[in-house]
Order: sequence, then C-alpha cells, then structure tokens
Amino acid sequence: MGLLQGATELFPVSSLGHAVLVPSLLHWSFKQSDPSFVPFLVLLHLGTAGALLFIYRAQWVELVRSFFTAALRGNIETPSERLSMLLLVGTIPAGILGVFLEHELKSLFASPTAAASFLTVNGFLMLGAEVLRRRAERLAAAGAQTRIEQEERFAVAEQISFKAAALVGACQALALLPGISRSGVTIGGGLMAGLRHQEAARFSFLLATPIIAAAGVLEIPQLLSNPVPLGEYLAAAALAGIAAYLSARFLLRYFRSGRLDPYGWYCAGAGILSLALLTFRP
Amino acid sequence: MRGNTLAMALVVLAVVFAVVAGLYAVGVLQFLVSDPHASHHYTHAILFGVLAIASLIGANFARSKGTA
Repeated sequence: MGLLQGATELFPVSSLGHAVLVPSLLHWSFKQSDPSFVPFLVLLHLGTAGALLFIYRAQWVELVRSFFTAALRGNIETPSERLSMLLLVGTIPAGILGVFLEHELKSLFASPTAAASFLTVNGFLMLGAEVLRRRAERLAAAGAQTRIEQEERFAVAEQISFKAAALVGACQALALLPGISRSGVTIGGGLMAGLRHQEAARFSFLLATPIIAAAGVLEIPQLLSNPVPLGEYLAAAALAGIAAYLSARFLLRYFRSGRLDPYGWYCAGAGILSLALLTFRP
Repeated sequence: MRGNTLAMALVVLAVVFAVVAGLYAVGVLQFLVSDPHASHHYTHAILFGVLAIASLIGANFARSKGTA
C-alpha cells in the first residue's frame, strides 16, 4: 500500500482512488470503512509530503522567508514573494472544502464504485485539459520548431495571476473526492492558467505540500487513538516517501515535453474497467 | 482611499474569523462539524485562524502606502 500510494500520489492517476479500488478488487483485508483507514492513508500522505519537502527543500526555505517578508511589508517585490502568496491563495479553497466536507467525503471513501466513477471522470478531465491546451498552443506557439520551444511560449509559476492561482486551488479541492487526482486536476488547472507543463507540475507539487502535511498532522491523534500496527504503518509511510521521491523526479523530467494524455487514457480505462469488474464480479 | 476602505473591511473580516475560530475551539459553534458531541473542533478553529491571518495579510496589501 505504501509503494502504491507513493507512486500514484504524484502521478496524475489518483492515489486515493487506487487505495480504495485496489484492495477491493484484489480482496485485500483492508476495511475502508474502518476508522483507522483514513488516518492510515493520511500517514502515507505524510511520507509523500516529506518527499516533496525534501525535493524542494531549498525553495521552501526561500518561500517561507519570502512569505513573511512580503506579508509584513505589504508589498510583493520578488518572484519568490509572489509565488509564496500564490500558494497561499491556491491552498485556501481546498482547506475550506476539506474541513467542511470532511465527514461526507469520508463516507465516500468506503465506496469503490464511487472511486471508479470519479477515476473515469478524472481521466476525461485531463484529456479535456489537453484538448484545450493544444488549441492554445496552436494560437500562441506559431513558428516553434520543437516541443520544448513550444512549451517555452507559456508562463512559469511565478507569473500567473492570483485569480488563476485560486482557480488551480479550486481544482485541488476536487481531489478530495476519491478517484480525482490532485496532481491531475491541478496540473490541468495550471495548463488552463497558461503554465508550461513542467511548471504546472512544479506548482502542483508545491501547492500539494502544505495541505497534505496539514491533513496528516491533524489526523495523527486519531491514528494513535486506534489500536493499529504503528510500526507497519510507519514503514509503509517511509516506502510511500521513497516512491513519491522517485515519481516526482521522473515527472519533472517527463513534463519538459510530455503531456497528460497517457495518464488521462489510463484513468478513463482503469475507471471503466473497475466499474465493470465491481458491477459484474460474482 | 479605496484601498484603505478595503483594508478596513479585511481587518473586520479577520476579527470575525478570529472570533469564529475561538468559538470552534471552545466547542460553542457546532456548524458543519463531523462530530457534534465533541467538545472542541480544533480543525475548524485552525482553518478560521488561517483565514484570519490571510485576511490581515490581504489588509496589509490593500492599504494605501504613503510615499516617503
């Protein structure tokens, strides 16, 4: 489960959807309605957040410093200060929806059918984002010779508007639904905001870190209050972190010229197949 | 001038958020909580605390800056 969650968390294929679907399809002994299931997933997310913090450790130090400098000064002067404020604006929508809809969403976690349906929707959302992006590329990137030149016509994360950051944040809130990929919808949202693929991935990873870490920290008391094999859970979290680190390295390289299409087709196909298996299995 | 009005509105909003955070923390507010019987709702309190801080930052950005 740790490897599965870590590998699928940053790939735009919905880790939560897989964490709900795979044990159900393979008849693993996880009880998704168990009170310790969500805290267990959150602990795995903490492993992922740790990997993201490690990858962007220098940038986070700079972002935190820039955030306080800009907040106290009341003015944005550097790209790093702007990015820190964009991340704040992008984090708020998912935070509000996560806190207020927590109970309703937890009941959805128990339903593999809902996860399979949302996974299918996730696939089509990413494919739709790429269709719109190709249209924008045709308008903006006339004369570009290579795919990398084509990408360079688009913005870096520090350049997007606050409205666009709020839009990407709202997309992140969709990921509270099992089956909807956080990275998928935020990368898709980033593309809509005019970011390069690689920058959309970077913004998505930076945006994910505070909310994953906060959700993890808030769920730790619930995890500890249940009789759970904590050692095994922590080992799973460490594996999730390692898998997430390798995934992030791969994806940042892939999105220099790669697109969301393969992940979109995978999610749509896996979602439809899972729905069929869940409906027709004996 | 318009910036100062917006800044003032954001400060008022920050105060409201801070009060709501306090009410959730002591368990007086039970609106949209997963466990109505819990005596404290720290998650909600932290969220409104963050919103209060964000509003104060917004107010600091919105206020008119005097030129030296």
